[in-house]
Parts: sequence; C-alpha cells; structure tokens
Amino acid sequence: MNWTKQVREHTSVNLSWDRLLPSEQPIYVSSLVYSFGVFTLSSLVIVIASGIIMASKDPVWYQFSSLGAYLRSVHFWSVQAFFFFLTLHLVAQFFMSSWREGRGATWVLGVLSFAISVITAFTGYLSRGDFFSQWNQVQSKDAFNGAGLDGFLNILNNGQVYGLHISVLPLLLIFLVGLHLLAVRRRGVVPPYSEDKERDVE
Amino acid sequence: MNWPYPDERRFPIKDFDLIKEGTVSLLLLMVVILVIAAFAGAPYRPTVTNKDIALNNPVFFAQTALGYLDGSDSIASYGPPYNHGWQGQTTGVQSIAEFHPQTWWGVPYPVQPVQDFILTPLSSLATASHNSILKDAVQVYQTSPYSQQMRWNANYKKALSTAKVVGHQLYIIPGDYGPVDYLMQSELAMAQSGLLSGVLNSETNQGVYRWNVQNDLLFLQGKPLHDKAKNLNMLGEQWGINHDERAYPGPWWLTPYTFLYQVPPWSVSPAGDLMAAYTVAILFLLLMFLPWIPGLNRLPRILPLYKLIWRGWYRYRKEHDL
Repeated sequence: MNWTKQVREHTSVNLSWDRLLPSEQPIYVSSLVYSFGVFTLSSLVIVIASGIIMASKDPVWYQFSSLGAYLRSVHFWSVQAFFFFLTLHLVAQFFMSSWREGRGATWVLGVLSFAISVITAFTGYLSRGDFFSQWNQVQSKDAFNGAGLDGFLNILNNGQVYGLHISVLPLLLIFLVGLHLLAVRRRGVVPPYSEDKERDVE
Repeated sequence: MNWPYPDERRFPIKDFDLIKEGTVSLLLLMVVILVIAAFAGAPYRPTVTNKDIALNNPVFFAQTALGYLDGSDSIASYGPPYNHGWQGQTTGVQSIAEFHPQTWWGVPYPVQPVQDFILTPLSSLATASHNSILKDAVQVYQTSPYSQQMRWNANYKKALSTAKVVGHQLYIIPGDYGPVDYLMQSELAMAQSGLLSGVLNSETNQGVYRWNVQNDLLFLQGKPLHDKAKNLNMLGEQWGINHDERAYPGPWWLTPYTFLYQVPPWSVSPAGDLMAAYTVAILFLLLMFLPWIPGLNRLPRILPLYKLIWRGWYRYRKEHDL
C-alpha cells in the first residue's frame, strides 16, 4: 500500500480546487445566516494579528504605553466580535442541523474549536495584568484544582498561562479551525430540509 | 457551471465568489473594530498589591498576615495542590463522596504560609538589614511550642481589633504577644516598602527572575481580594467573571458556566467548583455529540426556524415547481 498515493488520490477528489475555492453555490445559500461563519473567521484573523503584535512586544508594553493599550483594545473588541459571530454561527448551524448528510465531523470540529476558544480567551483575560486578571486567577484556582486539573495547570503561574495563551492554545485552535474549514469545503453547505419529512436524509 | 458535489445536483446553483466575500468581510470588520477600539478603549483596573493594603490599611494587613501565622486563613489549611492542610485539617479540597480528583497529584505547588509568607521573608529582611532583634524574634517563634505560639497569636488577634494607626504606623496596646508583635510590625514595614512581593516572587521562581506569581497572589487571595471584588460585583455568586469594568462587555460566553453558581446545588455545595466543572464538561459532550443523540438531533426539524432561514429557497421551489 502506497501511503503517498492514497493521500494524493483521496485529497484530489475530496479537496479538489473546485471544492476548496468554490465559485458557485447552491441557490439556497442566500441568507445572512451564511455570513456568520465568515465573520467569525474574519474576527479570528484580527484577534490573531493583534495578538501577534502584542506578543512581539511585552505585557508591560500593552499595559502601559498608549499604542500598546490601543492594540489591547483592538484585541479585546475583536475577541468580542469573534464570540458574537461564533455564537450566531453555532446557533444557526444548530437550527439548520448542519451535521446532516455526512457532516458530523464538521459539527464536532466546530464544537471543539468553540471549547478551545473559550479556554484561550480565559487565559487571555488572565494575561491582562490588571485587577480582573488578578481576581479571576485566584478565583479560578479553586475551579481548576477542584476539577483535578491541578496536576497539569498552575493557574497562578503567569509563565504557564501566558505560554498557553500565545502559543499552545492558538496553535491548537488554528489547527482545529483549519480542519473545520476543510470539512466544510469537503462536504459543501448543508442542504435545506425537504418540506416532506419522509424525504429527510440524516 | 462546475459544481463539484455530484451527489447534490438536486439543487440549482448560482455564482458565488468565496475570496471576495472573505476579503470584504475582513476589511469591513477591521474598520469597525479599529474604530470601536479607538473610541471605546479596553477595560483596565490597576491590580491590588500587598504594598497598597499595607499602606492604606495597616490593621487589615496585619490581620491578613496573622491569619497565616495562626493557620486561620484558608490557604494555610487548603490542602492539595498547595499543602497537606493545617494540623491535619484541610479546608480547600472539594469532593463528591470519595471522588476528589484535586488530590490525585499530591502537592505539586507547595505553600507553607507560616514559613513562605512570614518567617522566610522576615529572615531575609533580618539578614539584609543586619537586624539581630528580628533574627532572634523569628528564632524564638520557631522554637516555641505550638500551644505557646497559638496563645501569642490569639492575644495579638484580640489586640488588633483595638489597634490604632497613626500615619502608616500600627500601635498595639502592650500585652503577652511574645515575638509576634515585632514579627507583624516587621512584616508590615516590609510590605509597605514593596519588598515583600519581591521575596514572595523569588520563592516561587527558584530565586530567579521568572513569571510564577503564585505566592504573591495567594498572600492576598482571601479577604483582601474578596472585599474588593465584592464592591465591584465580581464575586462568584454575583455572576463573577461575567462582569468586566464599568459598562464594558465581559466574557459573556461563560454565562452557562457562571449561571450554575447562582443556583443550588452548585451555589450551596462546598464542592460547587468540582460539580460545576463536570456539569459543564457533560453539557459540552452533549453539544459535541448532538448529531448522534436521538431526539435532540431531530429538534431543529421540530422547531420551525429552518423555515425562516431557507424561506427564499422554499419560495423559489414553489415558484419554479421543483
């Protein structure tokens, strides 16, 4: 069995350019609902871009310099936008039951991305360096300890929290979102329910 | 037209520009966010340090420090992952029946408040300032029997309730405190100078300049931070983390989690954190495996919202008799 050949043949069918960069869509793709995903992704791009600039300087810079504070503000509002559109996207996809017709993996990857986003954002709130960080750090220690995560995570160690926030978790998130997008493109957009329940394809 | 999903030819297709849609959405959002960020700014409230508390409220600071010396503070008796409790009693371990995952890892982040928060910093201060009285006071305290230490602490605790403050100086009526008054006065002076944080931080970073602020944060984690958080409506039972500064939106996406802390049994159980964590984990698994959960996966079919989302398509189909 030739692994290379198998991967090539599999991807050339399932992830052809026609699927990755479609220039057509089914006619039912005509609602604002379909923009929530792309807006979520756009917000994520701004979150990452502003985060990279902040990480290239240092936490004291974004805490005390005016340019740093502005970048922190961009990061803050892009995170708000990200979760706003993510929530709309998630709720809309639920009501469209977009896991139908072989799209279960797309749904699972999306939900996993959501979970990693929540944890990433939390470590970001703890990296702000203000009272909010300080307070939520000491508050959340009981939750992390109680849940049994204390063997891995010392939430009072800023080195670990910051490292998770700017490297480990974003890389994981980008990986999951990448797979989610590939899964979406592989299967295409979920078709509407037929009006006849008997003709549903699960 | 080149539609790449041959099994779905049951729908007519139309022109679509993925890259254009992505670019327009990105640029649009970028403008909106850059403008909002410029006008609204981001929330920020300065941290509370032990120096602030020592300067602004010396009595409160001394009460906090004494809580470490007499073991009445919750960190002194916390248990894993920080210590084995106080005199065999642990107050920080959450458990449901015999399930207490908190204890599985032993004590990976050791904190002994009497030593780490009081006696070690004071020994450093005594050495650095050639203060033999302080050095002797530390030694007398350490070598005294436990019952004697607790008697001094209890007397001092009582005296603190009638203590006077002039400027930043703490005045205690004379009494049987052994070395405790001198220890507490020295701890207060050390905190007021800002040096206490330095020593606490060096303890958790193996003496080098690193990022672990565990002991510095734990020193304040009890009443000092709780009192301040309460004034800002940031306690757990006040929806805690959902609030941010003033009118700024907080991390509202944590609402399902913080909601648990407002209602029994999570809000009243001593193992509330443990229960909340595992409740959220179960809810998350339900969400993740929703497509395969009978009943739940048919919910969107029963709720008529899909008719609204695809109303254009249903109209089109009727008009074209598809």
